[in-house]
Amino acid sequence: MPRKYRLILALALTVALAIGAAGVPGAAAVKFEDWGPHVDEIIMPIIKNADARRIAFERGESIVWAGLTKPTDIDQAKSLPYADMKMTLGFHMFYLCFNMRKGPLDAQPLRQAIAHLTDRDNIIRTLFKGYMLPMSSFVPQVSPFYNKNVPFYEFNAKKAEEVLKNAGYKPDGTGKNWIDPKTGKPLPEMKIFTPTYEVAPTSAELGKMIADSCQKIGLPVKPEPMDFNVMLDKLDIGEFDMYCLAWSLSKLPTFLHSFFHSSMDVEAGYNRPGIHNPELDKVLEDLYYANDLKAARTAADKAQLILAREMPYVPLYSRPYIDAFNKTQVTGYVDMNGFGAASYNNPWTLLNIRRVDRFGKAIEGGTIRWALSEEPKNLNPITASSAYEQEVLSKVFDSLTVSHPDTLEDMPWMAEKWDIGTWDVEPGKKGTTVTWYVRKGIKWSDGMPFTAEDVKFTIDYLKENECPRYLDATMDIVKTELIDKYAVKVYFNSVSYWHFYNAGISMLAKHIWKDVKDWKTFQPWLEPHPTIKGYTKLVGTGPFIMKEYRPGEFVRLVKNPNYWRLKPGK
Amino acid sequence: MGFRSYLLRRLGYAVIVLLVILTLNFILFRVMPGDPEKMIIDPNFKQEAKAALRKQYGLDDPPMVQYKNYMLALLRFDLGLSFNTQRPVWDELKERLPNTITLFLVTFISTAAVGISLGVYSAANRGRFAERFVVGAGLFAHAVPGFFVQLMLLLLFGYYWPILPIHGTMSAPPPDGALAQFLDRAWHIILPAGSNLVMGFGSWALYTRNTMLEALGQDYILTARAKGLPKRDVLYHHALRSVLPPIVTLIFMSLPGAVSGAVITESIFSWFGVGRYLLDATLQMDYPAAQGAFYLIALAVIISNLAADIAYGLVDPRIRVGAGGTK
Repeated sequence: MPRKYRLILALALTVALAIGAAGVPGAAAVKFEDWGPHVDEIIMPIIKNADARRIAFERGESIVWAGLTKPTDIDQAKSLPYADMKMTLGFHMFYLCFNMRKGPLDAQPLRQAIAHLTDRDNIIRTLFKGYMLPMSSFVPQVSPFYNKNVPFYEFNAKKAEEVLKNAGYKPDGTGKNWIDPKTGKPLPEMKIFTPTYEVAPTSAELGKMIADSCQKIGLPVKPEPMDFNVMLDKLDIGEFDMYCLAWSLSKLPTFLHSFFHSSMDVEAGYNRPGIHNPELDKVLEDLYYANDLKAARTAADKAQLILAREMPYVPLYSRPYIDAFNKTQVTGYVDMNGFGAASYNNPWTLLNIRRVDRFGKAIEGGTIRWALSEEPKNLNPITASSAYEQEVLSKVFDSLTVSHPDTLEDMPWMAEKWDIGTWDVEPGKKGTTVTWYVRKGIKWSDGMPFTAEDVKFTIDYLKENECPRYLDATMDIVKTELIDKYAVKVYFNSVSYWHFYNAGISMLAKHIWKDVKDWKTFQPWLEPHPTIKGYTKLVGTGPFIMKEYRPGEFVRLVKNPNYWRLKPGK
Repeated sequence: MGFRSYLLRRLGYAVIVLLVILTLNFILFRVMPGDPEKMIIDPNFKQEAKAALRKQYGLDDPPMVQYKNYMLALLRFDLGLSFNTQRPVWDELKERLPNTITLFLVTFISTAAVGISLGVYSAANRGRFAERFVVGAGLFAHAVPGFFVQLMLLLLFGYYWPILPIHGTMSAPPPDGALAQFLDRAWHIILPAGSNLVMGFGSWALYTRNTMLEALGQDYILTARAKGLPKRDVLYHHALRSVLPPIVTLIFMSLPGAVSGAVITESIFSWFGVGRYLLDATLQMDYPAAQGAFYLIALAVIISNLAADIAYGLVDPRIRVGAGGTK
């Protein structure tokens, strides 16, 4: 399908979802604001079973049915008169990967031909009832670094044959294979690894569809579903021809370096196709060590063009975030590109969501119930790593910067501004510096002031203790320097624009953490606060305070009375 | 051979079995496909960062060193830190044990009581509709996959006729007052324990029915009847009493199955217990957590078997004497 039609299809899908539940009077729309929160309490029951979560939404015991992926669930949610469907583009990418280390898939024309034999639109229509977006670039469309000029390999069997013939491949006469010009022999059988039908039925079927399409022009491609862990082990040691899997990517395009730089082609490394291309390496290094945003954009654009030519992956589709909110209970939830309306990465829904009265009018205060799909288990902000823990911690902690919900551009938040510069690490070697200017008047949830000293303490603490989750982020930091009570400068040992994101990590309250003896076993949510009765040591600057956590049952959060953004314009 | 020797021999076997299980437990997680490093190491980390973390977690140590550390730690009941949460595994298990034990006891007592009662009742009503109904229902409940029954009950009482809670052990937040909290917990256990009862009563009922029918055909029962004893006395004081030893054995032997069955029940009803913990840990390649949960379950199974052996030895002296032996 031509690009313009696919865009129309995507827009139509968005509109269809947006109006899918039309017909019932909805809540009044609330303008997006950068202050809040507007509810007094959030109760998060932990409901692990997916059917039970659906039932909880339908019984009104959760205001959201988040992260819908199955077409049956989406259709079910759309059929509920009180469900308000939200769809947002995501950073998800499903792809077909080639092993470029060995023949016959080390040949670019063969990979390009298979790209032409991949019918994305049919896959999306057949397997996902249209609830996916076709993908042609190596960076998701929602990313600020997406290059819209990347050439698209349309589904066209004749074109695939033409590519093969132009490269010297010849049909072997049986109609069941082609003669490889390099070896002069028929092409060997090529397998597409996928997880099994029991574990991931759509992935397994998708592998079969691509293989069928290849077989129609005589390419000996076969699907091979297998145990997921066995498959990962084979990928780690490069024992495969092709496989289908998904990535959950991020706003930063540095993943291109991880996936396609030749230095990453090591055992269990993430350059799984094994691409070694000096031109690409150079561009990816320019991207990884870019001085500024402009240089980063230029390098990301070039990298995407080279990748589209070399075709180590065939990008297939991207899954949007689809969430259903109960509009008879709440309003004000905000779509955020790349993350969805109900994601913990989206601070805007948290600030803007409001209860509605029985006439659909937004009201201040009250309690909302928001189901968690997993146990948060560990609420130590240094060691917590899963998304389920971030579901809670993201409501208790705040960050120096935030991303704009539409453009994803960095916005000042607890830091009112920042400077990015360079310094001399040693004669002849430059490094990046990031200076944070912290906003005045911010308080921790226990009432203590938040200052640049907390920022410096946090970075020094994470670096000195080699905390695993932050090891990569702090590895390049040489030192920190307190300029005054509200400014701190961070020095890095190399030049890279991305160091900016390495310096913007979750903040720790110095007055609490300076006395922590063992950060690994510290359980701040269980230890009583040293001075305030009824509080714990889980002290943050976010909009909520964790009031109660009953493992396996629920998490209860209440509005932080000391939150710095309770009123507009502050 | 005296009872003490018998007991010591059984204890010795139990220790050997435990050692074998722990060794298999260690090997199993290391030979199964998948890479636990991916659970604790961010794939986008630089190679130096990955190497530092592998060293920190002992994943670089040779297998024998890892095995030695593992066994020494278990002797101290130190189950290590969970890869996933970085919390001591024993702390996490302790939080969950009361819920698992509660569900287990309620399930076990209710299933045994209902199953044995129905077994006795159907034996006493042989050839009647009541017997056919109990046998048919028991066979059906026993044959249908457990998770299917549980999901159907979840849909029935959670959605179509929403009178029961569908997740957890308590309301969020729980009501005030000890009595209200007790009743709230009782209300929450109805569906998980009830579904276990539906799935489990059949085997108890059928076993009890069969053994009772065998007992009711014995001469001493005929004698009791001939003496003019009331039917109820014959049934409960003579027939049921004579079949209690094999039923007691069945009780002990079914304990391990009930423990492992908790994995599915706890997952479906979002019950915060050891079974769900084991499932999560296994899926997430969290070695210390999975090994800790297995260790606990293995201990429960071995203790159950030991208890069965001891009970056997107490009620039937022929067992402790051993095959062909004399005291």
